[in-house]
Order: sequence, then C-alpha cells, then structure tokens
Amino acid sequence: MYNDTSENETRVHRNWNVLIFLAGVVLVFTVILLRLFSLQYIHYEENFQRSENNRLRRIELIADRGYIYDRNENVLVRNRPSYQIALQALEMPKKKADRDSVFHRLLNIRDAAGMQLFDSLSLDTAFQRTRWIKTRPIRILEDATMEQVAVIEEHSTELPGVLVIIESRREYPYGTLASHVLGYTSEISEEQLKLPEYATYSQGDRIGQKGLEQQYDREFRGVNGLKLVEVNASGREVRTLSDVGALIEPVPGLHMISTIDLKLQKVAEAAIPDSARGALVALDPRNGEILAMVSSPRLDPNIFSLKRRERNKGWAHVALDSMRPLTNRAISGIYPPASVFKLATAGAGLENGIISETKYYPKACTGGYQYGARYQKCWGVHGNLNVVHALRLSCDVYFYQAGLEIDMARINEFARRFGYGEKLLEVDIPGERAGWLPDSASFNRRNKRLGWRWARGLILNLAIGQGQMVTPLQQAVFVGSLATNKGVYRPHFMKELRDASGNVVHRYEPEIIRSGTMKPETHRVLMAAMDSVVNHPGGTGKRGAIPGIRVGAKTGSGEWKKGQKTHAWYAAVAPLDDPQIAVAVVMEAAGGGGSVGAPIARKVLMAYFGLEEENK
Amino acid sequence: MSSGRFLDKSLKFDWFFIGVTLTLMICGVFLVYSATVSEEIVFYDTHWFRQIIYFLTGIILAVGLVFVKIDWLKRAAVPSYVIALVLLVFVLIFAGDVKGAGRWIDLKVIKLQPSEFAKIAYLITISYWLSKHPVSLFNLKTFAVPFGLFIVPFALVLKQPDLSTALVFTAVTLVGFFFAGLTFTDMFLILSPVLSVLFSHSQSMVMQVLWGLLICLVVVSVIRRHLSKGLSVTIVATTILAGYASSMVWNMLEPHQQKRVNTFLDPMSDPLGDGYQVLQSLTAIGSGGIGGKGFGNGSQTNLSFLPEEHTDFIFSVLGEQFGFVGCAAIIVLYVLFLWRASSICKTNDDPFVTLVTMGASTIFLFHITVNIAMTIGLMPVTGLPLPFLSYGGSFALVCLFLVGLLVCLRYQGSRQ
Repeated sequence: MYNDTSENETRVHRNWNVLIFLAGVVLVFTVILLRLFSLQYIHYEENFQRSENNRLRRIELIADRGYIYDRNENVLVRNRPSYQIALQALEMPKKKADRDSVFHRLLNIRDAAGMQLFDSLSLDTAFQRTRWIKTRPIRILEDATMEQVAVIEEHSTELPGVLVIIESRREYPYGTLASHVLGYTSEISEEQLKLPEYATYSQGDRIGQKGLEQQYDREFRGVNGLKLVEVNASGREVRTLSDVGALIEPVPGLHMISTIDLKLQKVAEAAIPDSARGALVALDPRNGEILAMVSSPRLDPNIFSLKRRERNKGWAHVALDSMRPLTNRAISGIYPPASVFKLATAGAGLENGIISETKYYPKACTGGYQYGARYQKCWGVHGNLNVVHALRLSCDVYFYQAGLEIDMARINEFARRFGYGEKLLEVDIPGERAGWLPDSASFNRRNKRLGWRWARGLILNLAIGQGQMVTPLQQAVFVGSLATNKGVYRPHFMKELRDASGNVVHRYEPEIIRSGTMKPETHRVLMAAMDSVVNHPGGTGKRGAIPGIRVGAKTGSGEWKKGQKTHAWYAAVAPLDDPQIAVAVVMEAAGGGGSVGAPIARKVLMAYFGLEEENK
Repeated sequence: MSSGRFLDKSLKFDWFFIGVTLTLMICGVFLVYSATVSEEIVFYDTHWFRQIIYFLTGIILAVGLVFVKIDWLKRAAVPSYVIALVLLVFVLIFAGDVKGAGRWIDLKVIKLQPSEFAKIAYLITISYWLSKHPVSLFNLKTFAVPFGLFIVPFALVLKQPDLSTALVFTAVTLVGFFFAGLTFTDMFLILSPVLSVLFSHSQSMVMQVLWGLLICLVVVSVIRRHLSKGLSVTIVATTILAGYASSMVWNMLEPHQQKRVNTFLDPMSDPLGDGYQVLQSLTAIGSGGIGGKGFGNGSQTNLSFLPEEHTDFIFSVLGEQFGFVGCAAIIVLYVLFLWRASSICKTNDDPFVTLVTMGASTIFLFHITVNIAMTIGLMPVTGLPLPFLSYGGSFALVCLFLVGLLVCLRYQGSRQ
C-alpha cells in the first residue's frame, strides 16, 4: 500500500489524523455551545421577554385586484371593502374557562333587530379549529355589515383574540350585465389547489373563476406585499418594522380596458329577455374585438362576494336551474348553423366555379325534392331560382342540388376558411367549445359506436346547415369575415392592460387566425345575396332592415327536435360596403330566424350606429 | 455463522456506539412529537409515529447490512455509483413544475431522493478508489480520477439545485484526501483560495489584515512543503487572484443578485424571508434559558411560526423546551457518537475501512454542524436536516444505513 512507509508508521499517521478530525469536532461544537450559552444565558432575559410579550407577525398585504373597464372606460368590475370578523388563535386566552367566556359573550351579541350575530354551531367549530390553526385568522363572520363591525369594536376589550379584518371583494355594478364574459371571483377550491397551474396560489386566495376574471387572473391579482409587525400580548399591533426594510409594498393588479361597449351591451341585454334561452355576439370583424356578448339566462356574479349563507342560496339557485344559467351559450353552446350555413355552401360553389349567378338547376322548388326513395321538403314553394334568389328566400331545394354537386369536402374547406370547424377560435375567456363539420370520414368516426354510416343523402341535410355544430361566436366570426374578405381575426375581449397609474402595459395586437379570403366575384355575389335577404321586400330577414344603413344578413331556423319550435338564427353585418360590426343571435326553440332573431340584432345595430328606435 | 460468535464479547459490536445512536433516535421521536403535538389526526398518520416506522425500517436495513462482507462492499462500489448517476440524471430530466420536484422520484408508495442514495454510493466509491490509489501533491495525476468521480455527482446535485447536498460531497472528498495521503498543510493549501474569497468578501480593516496574513501563511507553507515550482506559483497565484476576482465579480453583480447573496450569508438582512425563521428560531432557543420551558410547553409560543419546526428547525424545539442543558446533552451525545464512529478505523488496517469510516463521520458532522449553526444564526439557511432528530423518511434511512455500514465494518473487520 503506502510503499514509502512501514505499516506501523501508517497506523500512527492514521491515528493522528483521526485525532485531528476529533479535535475539529470538539472545536466546532465548542463554538456552538458558546453561542448557545450566549443566547440562553447572557441574552436570556430579552429573548424570554420577546417570546412572551412581543411577538413578530408577518402580515400579508393583499394587492388590489385590477378593475375591468369597457372600451370607453366605464367601470364594469371594481372592488369594495368587506369586513370579516375572525379569531386569532395566538391572542386568545390560554385558559379554557376564559375562552368559554369569550365564546358566550360572542353568542350573546345581537344586532339592532335582536338577531344573534353568530350561531353556536359554526362558532363552536371555529373555536375547535383555533386549536390547530395557530397562525392564520379563522373567520367567524364573513362580509359583516358596518353595524355588526361597530358592535364588535365596541366590545373589543372583552373579546381578546377577536379581530376585524378588512378585505377587498369584487363588485359588479351592473349586476347581471355581461356576467358570462366577466366571470366572478371566489375562494380557491381544494381541487384547484392540487392542480399544477395553481401552484403559486395558496389556501384562502380569492381567484377569478370563469370569464375574464379567470383568464387574466394573474394580471388582475398583482403581487401581494408583506409587512413585519410587532404585536403585544393582546394581539394589538405595536409598530410596523418598516424602518428595517421589513415592508414589501404590494403591487396592485393591472386594470383591463376591454373591448366591450357598455352601451351596446346594455341594449343587447335588454333585447333578450332573461326568461329566454339564447345568446348574442357582436364583434368588429376588422380586428376581432368583441363589442357585446350576451348569454341568457344570466347570473349575478355579485352573489359570490356575499357571505356564505347568502352565497350558497344564490349558488343553489343558479346551479340547479334547468335552464343552465352558468353556461356561456355564446361560446359553449353548440347549435346547428341552419340556413346561415347556406352562405358557405353557396360560397364553396362559387369559389370552385360549380355554380354561378346565372346558373339554374333543372328541378324547380315545388315544395320538396325527391332523392332516391326519400322526399326532402322545403319550407315553401319557391320555383326556379339562381343563387342570390335562393339565399334570399333560403330555398332548401336549390341547396339540396347545389350541395350534391359541390360535395362536402369543398363546402367544409370553404367554411373552415372563415372560422367554422373543429379548431377553437381561441377567444380569451375559458370554456370555448369547438364546432364540428361532418364529412364522410369524420361522420363515420364519430358515429362508429352507433353503427351509422355515411350516406350521400346526408349531404342534403348538411348543405342547408342541419347536422353541423357551431357556436354563436363562430357564426358571428363567419358572417363578419365573409363580409370583410380580409381574413379571420382572433375574437378577443382584451384591448389594453394598464397599471395602477394608468400607463399602458400591454396592448392587444389583432391576429389573423384563418386565411378568410375568397375571389372577388364570390364575394360580390354573396354580398348581393346578404343584401337582398334584408333589403328585398321578399327577403327572409326584412325585419332586420335599418333605413339609411345597408345591412346584410342571413337567417336560419335550426331543427333540433321533432315537434319543437326551431332555434332562431340571425347573423348580420353592417354596413355591407364597409363592414364595421357583425352580430349573431341565436334564440333556442323560439321559432324562425327572420321573425325572432332579426329584431334583436336590429336593436343592437341601431344602437351601434346611434339611431333612435322609431315608434311603431 | 454460529450463535457463539454473536454472543462473543470481544468488542465485535461496539454496544456503546449502538446505545448512543438509539438514545439519539429516541430523543428525536420525542422532539418530533412535541413539535407536532397540535395535529389532530389519527395516530398512525402523525409525524412521530411515522418517524418511528422510518427508524424501525432503518434499523432492519442496518442489521441486514452488518452481514455484508467488506469485499462485497468494494465490489458494489462501481455499480452503485453508476446507478446513482443514472438516478440523478433521471430526476433532472423529469423535473416537474412543483416546488422541489427536481429532487424526488415519486414511486407513489414512497418518494425516493436520489441525492441521498448518491451520498452513500459516492462515499463507498471514492473510498474504494482512494484506498487503492493514494493522492499526493507531488504527483498531481493522482487527483485526476477522484476529481472526476467527485465532479459529476456534484454538478448534477448542484443543478437540482441543492447546494447544501453538493457541499456534503465536497466535504466527503476533502476528508477522503486527508486520509489518503495529504497532510494538514496540504489541506490548508487546497482550501486557501476559498478562505481568500471569504476574507475578501468584506472590505473591513480586520478582514484585509487577515487576508494579508493568509497570503503570507500560504507562501510559507508552500516553501516548507518543498512543492514543485509550478505548483507553488499556481497555489499562491490562485489564492491571491481568488481574492481579487471575488471582489470584481461581486462588483459586477446586479444589486438584486448581491442582495440574494447577502441574504444567503446573513439571513437577518432579510427579516421577511429566511431571516424571519432565524429570528423566530433564535427567540425560541434563547427563551429556553438554562433549564428550558419543559417538555410540551414550547410549541405554544414562538414555534408555531416556524413552518419547518419538525424538520429543519427541530433544534429550536429542543432549545426552547430543554434549554442549554438539553442542547448540551444532545451535543455531548453527538460528540460521543462521532468519537466512537471514527475510532472504528483503528480496528482495521485496511485503508478502505478508514476512508469509509471517516467519510461517514464527515457526513454526520457536516449535517449536524450546518443544521445547528443555521438554527442559532451562525450559518446560512440551507435545507440540511439534523441526523436522528429531524423528521424525514429518506434521511432517517440514510443515517441508519451509514450506522449499519459502520457497525458492519467493525464486525466484519474483526472476523478476518
């Protein structure tokens, strides 16, 4: 081994080294013992006093959540102060008898109406919890009124460990207005805490749920601050240790200027009664800004900021409602596009040179069309038509024949180009659902389990828009981009993010997500057709006409269940020669698109162009 | 093996060593119990009960280890080293977003911490190599392989990032060099650049003088060791440059980076972050006084502020409840433990035994020192637990594995 030394020398050398090691051990531990002696004997008094009387507390300073404004800087969402009454375990009396007397005093507190502030069951639970939750205050009364706070403050000397905390809660001044777009905030749930995307959140955080509140939660919440305070034995703050750098100021969240137009949104909300199921989307096809979005029935997001009892009542009301007010029908509701889809069929035909403005089909509309053994009805008797007339009257027989000739692959390709289809439009609120455009392959795949096979006869239904699935948002994007012929812009709500002092931090850049262009000739014919739907006396959408504004539109009546009224569709663009706004309306089981949908969209368009509703 | 060997009393088993270990473990269970007494859950879910289970598992592991022959350990060295590296790489690749996920392999039933396993594998491997190939400053080639063995796991652990565990590897390596041929002076020369950085960090007068003294001492040592000219110049130059370079790098750092380093070195400069814990820990220990507040009386006051009181800050629990007397008693137990552990190498002339024994003792010493020094505000806040006292499954198993290894070396050595 160690060749240059004898074995015995090696041993001696090694033992010396071990001794050196042990000397190091003793040296290190001596230093530690000296330090301990200094802490526990020399500085015992001050440490003991500090541990008994003066305690350091770390208090989180919650950052102000950012507001949401409409495009003209009217506040849509703001904050309000909310008072919480809580127990702080460390300041509560140590003796059980003293704690019991606090308990009974709390029980005996009554407000002016003679009602008890606390019920014994939940108060008892809170007192139990103080035994193991030491550092965090335990809430015993949520969102207390000023009067209740005054009563507690009055008795504060008799109630050690009971404190009033001021929190900030969300307030939606317009109630149900745009509730599906804005979303709401609530305390983070146990399930969410386990998800990786919520790794930076902690228990008790109020976070955005649904809508813009959820999508932009990180922007709205800001960065919480922290301060170190010294509290005395009864838990009162003695001083903030901000002088020694023990204060981190919270950074308030960003404010959002949304694309919503409050005036337009109000008109749209008023046009759709809360008793109806339906949705409306109004957007600017030139950049994808969504001006108004309504989903009915609505909910009032303010209920989530209330105290628990009232919140639960409101929640039960909306969650159990068979009309499903929680769903944002404008992006999550999927419906057959109905006759609005005829625009895609016609467009595909024109684009591929299969039909033209002067082409007539051999079979005129006599109220139906014989395909093999099947007789497919039309909703009227229209005679022999070209494409513009067929769109104006929404004649099914024309599109049965056109669809068979054009074939689904071409129609779907054209439809996808303008925003329909399985790909999401990636609107910046959660919950968007993709649509579905069936062709032979995807139809067989989807219906494998049911044993249904693709048949050519299905084209008859699909050519008139029965059988596809689209969302109202897709419908609005479709007619809008059809009219502009300049590409499909990503629909969005975020216009600008501003910091607390009003500087623009982030501005949304419009983004083209589908090519959305066609030949000029196709565009001209389609526009002529959309124009005649509204402005021709025989058009299906004539109730949507506005004097002085050239509105183009397409109506639709979606069949969904035998014997039920159809879903009413109306998708409009105005002005046709310089499109500024696209509106899509769907009213579930309400009847024909021209009679139900058109008047609603008309009100929105009137408001957009600043025209007064004339008296009828 | 016959039962006669087992009962033979000629010190095949150092019962004193085993007794000290068991005492420490019992103290540990009591401390974990008092730190987590406020939990209101069924007993088999409590920390103290789980700690007992971990210890029992560890003891079974250690007993099994006693029957492993020393030759088998030597043969296992290289394979275990390779496995450790594979696991370390694996954990780096599959690091998730969750805090600390870069250190764990989750097997659903238990979570494995490859860096803990790597400590043991590295200890055996470096000992095996150094026992065959002593190092010397007069032949720098001897350092090539051990340095290679060291730098790979060191870098992988540092990447996790886990600085304190990486430093454990460093400590084991340095002590290994010391017992594989380097003299005390050599060790000083190797460490002199680090000392130079430490002394030059502060601009105070005292530090400047100390730094000058250090340089003089290095020069004297180099001359007295009669090292080759090239190496001598390199060492002196490195030491001087390290001092200047560190202050230059320091000035180049952004203010927020400087603040982070300062906070690490002196937690009290950040009373809202790490300093908060240290402040609470100091108050807790100090308020224990000489005799302590008594078992179970501490957790009511300051310690409920400490989120890691049952793991990294268990010493504060001890200090508050049992005072100076309790702390001193535990420290005496640790000294006895390290004394008996290091004396095992005297029972065997095999350098491998010496190196493993001293390496294991170093791992213990490093954890104990860094942890206690952290709770009393002498060292930065790092995540190193206190052997036998801190709560934690992985680490309990590692400690008992090392104890088993030490008992094994003595038992197997005496059988030869």
